[in-house]
Amino acid sequence: MNPRTLLWLATGLVVWAVLPFIVPRYMADLLVFTGIYTVAGLGIGLLLGHCGIVNLAQATFYGLGAYASAYCTVMMGLPSVVGFLVGAVISMALAYVIGRPILRLTGYFLALGTLALSAIASALFFEWDWLTGGTLGIGGIPKLDLFGFLLDRPSRYYFFVWIVAFACMAVARNLVDSRTGLMLRAMRDSSTAAAALSVDLQALRTRVFVVCALFGSLAGSLFAHHASFVSTQSFTVDRSISFLLIPVIGGATSIPGIVVGALFVTFLPELLSKLGDIHQILFGLALVAVVVLMPEGLVGAFGKLRTRLAKRGSGHG
Amino acid sequence: MTLSLVLQALFAGVTNGIVYALVGMGLSAIFKGSRVINAMQGEFAVIGAMTTVLLLTKTGWPYAAAIAGGAVAGALVGAFIEVAFVRYMAKKNASEDSFLLLTIGLALTLSASVLFFIGRDGHLLPPLGGEGVLIILDAVIQFHALWLIAIGIGATLALRAFYHRTTIGLSMMAASIDADGAATTGINVARMRTFTFVLGGLLGALGGILVTPLIGVDYQLGLNLTLKGFAAAVLGGLTNPLGAAVGGLTLGLVESLAIIGISSSYKDVVAFSVLIIIMILMPQGILGRAGRRGG
Repeated sequence: MNPRTLLWLATGLVVWAVLPFIVPRYMADLLVFTGIYTVAGLGIGLLLGHCGIVNLAQATFYGLGAYASAYCTVMMGLPSVVGFLVGAVISMALAYVIGRPILRLTGYFLALGTLALSAIASALFFEWDWLTGGTLGIGGIPKLDLFGFLLDRPSRYYFFVWIVAFACMAVARNLVDSRTGLMLRAMRDSSTAAAALSVDLQALRTRVFVVCALFGSLAGSLFAHHASFVSTQSFTVDRSISFLLIPVIGGATSIPGIVVGALFVTFLPELLSKLGDIHQILFGLALVAVVVLMPEGLVGAFGKLRTRLAKRGSGHG
Repeated sequence: MTLSLVLQALFAGVTNGIVYALVGMGLSAIFKGSRVINAMQGEFAVIGAMTTVLLLTKTGWPYAAAIAGGAVAGALVGAFIEVAFVRYMAKKNASEDSFLLLTIGLALTLSASVLFFIGRDGHLLPPLGGEGVLIILDAVIQFHALWLIAIGIGATLALRAFYHRTTIGLSMMAASIDADGAATTGINVARMRTFTFVLGGLLGALGGILVTPLIGVDYQLGLNLTLKGFAAAVLGGLTNPLGAAVGGLTLGLVESLAIIGISSSYKDVVAFSVLIIIMILMPQGILGRAGRRGG
């Protein structure tokens, strides 16, 4: 690692560490959400960027994690770690059982298959009110308690959420750099060739789908402990769509891209909402503009711009 | 379970099925002609219905003229989307996913625009044929539903005639099956793609206008209709707009017969489960004709 990268990294770390203390409380709150959305978006990024799969079902796993945490802590009085584990196990099991058949679909069919899955889950969250509280939801979810240190303020919870997010990024990076990652790339670029080299495409896609579900569920549990209240409105098809936007906007193959995307979907609506009710229209238009003008996402567009500037600079120099 | 209950369910199934069929036929026509899955197909229904509502209440147009205005609005928005976005992206060889995301973005924008400019309230349209009902074996059938079914069948037959009998329809088919070959024979392929979106917008708007007297229209209607329309189109084999008519009817009937047995709130769960199962087990659609990816 050269000194310059090290310097950047150190600066980044310092900014990250002081940020929640210098920004207003509502922004610290948004930064917590950015961390949560980064975790959820990472899984979708893995599927989209490395398997070419559009996953529109992430709100399902997000919801499972959130309800597992809510039900275990509020209804059963269990420690919060149990909620995280139960959510993760259920989500991964469901992703495996559903993933095996559904991941045989390709392209649009898979995308709309996952969208249908999200619609089913959102209807069931609504109907099974003995479990989820329906539209009334479940309230009074305790704040996380880390060995006696209560994470009851956004500025405290921020560090916990982001450490989880960094850990998930490390897992994702490892997965991409490992043998599995090589197989994934082979599969994305030429599935026939990969299959001929005895890569089990079905198993591979299912494995990444399960990892994606795990991240979704973790994010859901983190959300439940942050908001203290969960209800069906948080886990609709719209939420699945906004999760998908994270890797699309930031750039699906780059891990920093996911953070950029998460910042985009948390901060932009908030900033636009200052302009009044028109903000949802502007958000939609911003999305259309990104898709049409920057097919590789913001990070990809930035990279391209930098290469172009560098070329121009060397040309003149 | 009584006979009248079953009859009532059958009738509701056919009524809903025709609406799904109209939305699905539009989706399928667009996919056939441009390889774009239009995730804002349901928004065409909202545009058509809302325009009709506004023309009727604000400007006092006669009902028939307002309906025509709503349908034209859907067609115009379809043309605009093709010319403004799809054409540009197709030139850059955008991927399948980009088109899907484009239409998702447009759906969000349109739904937010309806919320912003018109508001959150639902709007109804007067039923065609008046408020009257027909009672068969205790099953109540609104006159409007009869009109809806008749118009839906008429539109399906007209679409079939359009694709098989008219020069434009045949050219659109040719352009979708083999773009280069069609261009060689002098067909303007890009213009045919625009027509495809016009047709999709028209059919979606018609579906929306017809369903509004029964369930009302609001800014959230679009997404649900898109999903149901897509299910109808997939059941019918996706590249075959007439198959979507069969798919829509099947979906409507399965939905309404299933909820005789279980709570009506599981209607969507049943419909979407059927969609997933059919996609996995019958990749060619229920008609099983000509590969769903092919022409």
